[in-house]
Amino acid sequence: MLRKISILALGLALAFFSGLSFYRSRHLKEPVVLGPGVTQVKKLSEYFPAIKGSTNDANVYVLEGAKPGGAILILGGSHPEEPAGRLTTWILTENATLEQGRLFVLNSANRSGTTVTRLGGAYPPDYTIRTPWGEQKFRTGDRWSNPLDQWPDPEVYIHYPSRQELAYVDIRNLNRAWPGRPNGTLTEKTGYALTQLIKKEKVDIVIDLHEAELQYPVISTIVAHQRGQDLAAMASMVISAEEFKIDMENSPKALHGLSHREIGDNTDAVSLLFETPEPFLDATRGRTDARLLLEGKDEFVVRAGKHGLLYEKIDEKGWPIDVRVGRHCSTFIQVLDLWSQDHADKAVVMKNVPKYREVIQKGVGAFLHDPAKADPKTVYYE
Amino acid sequence: MSMTASASIILAAMVAVYIIAKIFKVSTELSIFAATLAGALVGGAGIPARHIVEGAFTYLDICLIFITATLFMNFLKESGGVAFVVRRILQRFHRRKFILFVLLTVLLLIPGMLTGAGSVTVLVVGGMVATVLGYMGISKPKTAAIVFIIAGLSAAAPPVSLWAMLTAAGVNMPYVGFFVPLMAPCLLLALMTIFILGWKAKPADLELALKELPEAPAGMNWLKVILPFLIFLILVIAGRIWPFSFPIMGLPLIFCGSAVITLALSPKKIDILEVSRRTVHQLLPLIGTLTCVGVLVQIMTLTGVRGLISVTVVTLPVMVVILTLFITLPVSETVLMWGSAPVLGVPLILLFNHIGLDPVVALAGMSVIWPLGDAIPPTAIIGRLTVETIGMKEPYKNFLKYCIIPAILIIIVGTLMVVFSKKLSFLKVF
Repeated sequence: MLRKISILALGLALAFFSGLSFYRSRHLKEPVVLGPGVTQVKKLSEYFPAIKGSTNDANVYVLEGAKPGGAILILGGSHPEEPAGRLTTWILTENATLEQGRLFVLNSANRSGTTVTRLGGAYPPDYTIRTPWGEQKFRTGDRWSNPLDQWPDPEVYIHYPSRQELAYVDIRNLNRAWPGRPNGTLTEKTGYALTQLIKKEKVDIVIDLHEAELQYPVISTIVAHQRGQDLAAMASMVISAEEFKIDMENSPKALHGLSHREIGDNTDAVSLLFETPEPFLDATRGRTDARLLLEGKDEFVVRAGKHGLLYEKIDEKGWPIDVRVGRHCSTFIQVLDLWSQDHADKAVVMKNVPKYREVIQKGVGAFLHDPAKADPKTVYYE
Repeated sequence: MSMTASASIILAAMVAVYIIAKIFKVSTELSIFAATLAGALVGGAGIPARHIVEGAFTYLDICLIFITATLFMNFLKESGGVAFVVRRILQRFHRRKFILFVLLTVLLLIPGMLTGAGSVTVLVVGGMVATVLGYMGISKPKTAAIVFIIAGLSAAAPPVSLWAMLTAAGVNMPYVGFFVPLMAPCLLLALMTIFILGWKAKPADLELALKELPEAPAGMNWLKVILPFLIFLILVIAGRIWPFSFPIMGLPLIFCGSAVITLALSPKKIDILEVSRRTVHQLLPLIGTLTCVGVLVQIMTLTGVRGLISVTVVTLPVMVVILTLFITLPVSETVLMWGSAPVLGVPLILLFNHIGLDPVVALAGMSVIWPLGDAIPPTAIIGRLTVETIGMKEPYKNFLKYCIIPAILIIIVGTLMVVFSKKLSFLKVF
C-alpha cells in the first residue's frame, strides 16, 4: 500500500509541476509594441472566417506607405522553433516605416506551433532576449501545430491537392500544408487563410522566414519559385559581395506543400523562402537548452563539421541569434530594394530596419521596445 | 569540462544505474526510469518534471494503438472467432503447405503494412497464425520467430513505414519512391523466413488437431469474423482514397470501431469490463516500457547524451558505419524504438547522401534492418509481445535462436541495399 501511495504521490507531483509549466508556456504573453509604420492590426480570420476564435487566428500587422505601390507578405513562425524568423518579424513590426507600398507581417504564422515543444526533443519552454530596458521572453515552440489543437494524425499525410504522401506528423506542419484547404485540419485551414490573404491583398512577394540544421543541404540560402529566380539570384549576388555569403536555390517542382512551391503555383505572388543556420536543430547537437538556441555553439556539431558532414561552416563562435536575425533583415531589405528598382509602380520602400552589421553590433534586443512604457493601445500580444 | 566529457559521465552514470537496477531484479521499465533520473541528476537538471512528463507522452499514440488493437483481438477471441478461423483454415489447406505459407505470410504482412506497427500484426493476426503453425508441428519458439520477423518486415513495408517516414521528414525529403525499394525486400524476406523456419512442417493430423482445438460457438461464421476486419480495412483505406472528405479517425478509434462490431456480432455474451481489465493488465509492462523509453530519449537529448551517441556514430569512417549498421540500427531501435529514426537515421542519411549514395534506397535498406532491434533484450518490446501473444512458455533465448538465420538474411539484404543504393535507384518507380 505504501508503495502505491508513494508512486501516486510522485505522479501527482510530476503532473502538478509539469502542468504548471505547460500552462504557463501556452499562455505566455509575448508583447508586440507597434512601431510608427503599423497602420492597422488585422486578424487572419478576416480573410477566412472559419478560423475565427481558433489558436491560429493570428495578428496580421499592416504597414502602409503614403505612396501606393506593391504589397509584400512576410511570415515568421511557420516553424516557431526557428526563432530568427519570429524575431525578425518583431523587429519589422516594432521599427519599420513604409514610404511606398504595403507590408503585411505575421509574427506567428502557425500560432498553435508556438504553444508546444517537441516530444522527446527536450526543448526549453521559452527563451529570453536581453534589451536595454530589461528582458523579453518568447515561446520556443515546435515545427508542428500543437496536438491539443489538431489530433489525431492519420497513418500517412496526403497533401492537398497534389495527393503526395508525406510523413504523418507533417499534417501539422504549416510549411507542408500550402496552399491549404478550407474544410481541412487547423493547419490546412491556416494555409488556406494565408492564401486568401495573398489573393485578396494582391500580394506581389511572399517571404517565409526559416532556419535549418547544418546537416541539411538547403541552408544559408534563398529558395525561390521559378518566377522569383532572377530576384533571388540577384539578391544572393549583391549580399554575397557586400555582406555575407548566401546562396540561391530553385524550388523543386516535385516537392509539394512548401510555401516556395505552392504560393508561386497557386497565386500571382512570387514566393521566396530564407534559410539561416540553426545548430539547435542538428541531430548531433549536445546539451539542449535556451543557450544553444540563442548562441548556436555546440561542440558535437563542430565535430560533425570537422568530418565534412555539414553544409555550412561552424566554429567555436557558433551561430548567435544576432547573426541569424541580421542575415534575415539584410536579405529582406535587399530583396525589397531590387524588386522596387525593377517595379517602380509596385515598389515597396521601407526604412528604419537594421541591416546585418547593425543587428550584430547592437543585438536583437536593441530593436525591441518596452511594452511597460508604451501607450497600451499600441501593445498587442502574440 | 568539455561537452564530450560531461555527456560521457552522464551516460556512464545512466548505464551504471540501469545495471544496478537489473541486478536488484527491478523491472525493465523501472530500470530505464531510474537510469533516466540518474542522467538528469548527474546532468545538473535536477528532477525536470516538465521533461519527464513531456517525454512520457512521446509514444502516447502507439500506446493507444496497442491497447485498442489488443482489446479488439481479445473480443474476437472471446467471441469464438479465432477458434472458428483456425479450424476452417486447417480443414481447407492442411495438406497444401506452399499455399498455406504464402497465405499466412500475406495475412501477417497486411496489418503492419497499413499501420506501420509490427505490434499490430502480432496482436491482430499473430495469435491465429501461431495456432495454425502449431498444428503443423512447428514449435512455439520457431513460430514466435516467424511471427516476429514477418511482423517487423510488415512494419518496414509500404505504404506506411515509420522509420523511413520519420527519417525522410527529418531531412525534408518527400516520402516518395519508397514503395518498391521497401516492398520487394520485405515480401522476399518474409517468404524466405516462413519457408526456412517452417521447412520441416508437416501436414497436420486434421482429426487430432480439430479434436484439440476449442469448438467454435454455434452461430459463428465467416461473415462475423471477417466483418470487423473489413470495417478496419475500409476505414483505413477510405482515409487513403478520400483523404480530403473522409474524417481523420486515427488508428485507436478505428480499432475501437472494429471491437464494437465484434461485440455486436458475437454469438455469445462477452464480459466487456473483465476483458478490458485483462487487456490493460496484459499490456501494462509494454506500455510502461514505451512510456519510460520516451522519458529516456527526452533526458538523453536534454543532457547531450543523445548527441554524443549520434556524433560518435556518424563520425566513424564510412565503411565502418555501413558495415556496423547491423549493430547500430537494431541497438538504437532497442533503446529508442521509432525514436532511432530521428536520432540515428537522420544523420546517417545525410552522411550517405553526402557521399553520393541514393538516400531513398539506402533508407529503405536501413528500414528493413531496424525492426530486428525489437527482439533484443532488455527492452525487446515486440519480441516480448510476440512471445506473450502466442503463449510461448520456453525461455526467451530459444525464440532468439530461431531469429538468427532470418536476421542474417535481413542484415545482408539491407546492407547490400545501402552499399548498392545508387545502382538500385531504378527501383524508385513510385
